[in-house]
Amino acid sequence: MAYEIKREGKEIFGDFKPELIPNECGGDIDDYEEALHVLMKFVGSMSSALEQVSGRGANAIVYQAGKRMGHEAGKMVEKTDNLEKAMQELSEILGAEFYFDMWKPAGQEGYTIEKGDETVVKLIFRDCVVRQTLRRTGLPQKGPLCYLLYGYTVGAVEEVMDIRGKLDIDHVGPNACLKTLTIKWSGK
Amino acid sequence: MVEIEIDENACVGCGSCVDDCPNDVYEMDEAKNKTKVVNADDCMACLSCHEICPAEAMEHKNIHVAKRLYIDRRVNDILNKII
Repeated sequence: MAYEIKREGKEIFGDFKPELIPNECGGDIDDYEEALHVLMKFVGSMSSALEQVSGRGANAIVYQAGKRMGHEAGKMVEKTDNLEKAMQELSEILGAEFYFDMWKPAGQEGYTIEKGDETVVKLIFRDCVVRQTLRRTGLPQKGPLCYLLYGYTVGAVEEVMDIRGKLDIDHVGPNACLKTLTIKWSGK
Repeated sequence: MVEIEIDENACVGCGSCVDDCPNDVYEMDEAKNKTKVVNADDCMACLSCHEICPAEAMEHKNIHVAKRLYIDRRVNDILNKII
C-alpha cells in the first residue's frame, strides 16, 4: 500500500488500457506550462553543468547533438538545391518555436551574397525556445545551448541541400538573434 | 517598418545603445548629448538596446514581439496585484 503524500491539487482516477490514452491523462494548459518550466530548468541546469565539467568542449557536444537532430529532421522533407525553398523547408522543420526570416541591411540588394564557392545568407531568429530556456534559468546567450540550435540548423540545411554548412552567431538579443549561414557548394 | 522613439527627457546620453547596436541604428547627438535614431531601416528589433539602456528611454513600434514563455504567469499575476 502506498503512503500518500499530502499535496495541493486532486489526483486523477480513471480506467486505463495500454492501447488507449485516456482523456484524463491529458492535463490542462496549466499542467503543460508547469511541465515546460520544469523542462526549461532541467535543460538550463544541464547546460550549465556541462559547461562546468567539459569547458569549451560543451559547445562541441551540444553542437553534435543538435546536428544529429537536424540531419534526422531534414530527412523528412524534400531535397532541394534552391536556397529559398530550403529556407522554407527549414522553417517547417524548426517549427513555430524557432520563427526565423532571412535578413539583409537596407542598403544590400539581395538576401544572399556569393563568395567564390560559398553562399552567405543572414538569418534572424525571432522566436527561439533556447533563448526562452536561457532567460528562464538566468544563463547568458551564446553559451552551449545556443550551439544546439546552431547544430540543428546546420544539420537540417546539410541534409536538405546536400552541402556543407556553417552558422555563425553575429548578435544575440532578448527579442531576436542574427546568424550568418554559410553554404559551401564544393562540399557536395 | 520599425519605428523607434527615444524619450529625450529620460535618455542620459551614456551611449550604451550606440555601442551595442550591431547595425549602427543609433548615433550620439553631440549637441544635445542624447542618442538619436539615424538608421531605423536596419533595425532588426533584437532589443539589445532596451536591455542595456539604464533609463528605459526607448520604444520600438511595429515589431515582431518574441514569445516570452519563460515568464511565470503566476508570478506575473502576483506582481500585477502589487504594482
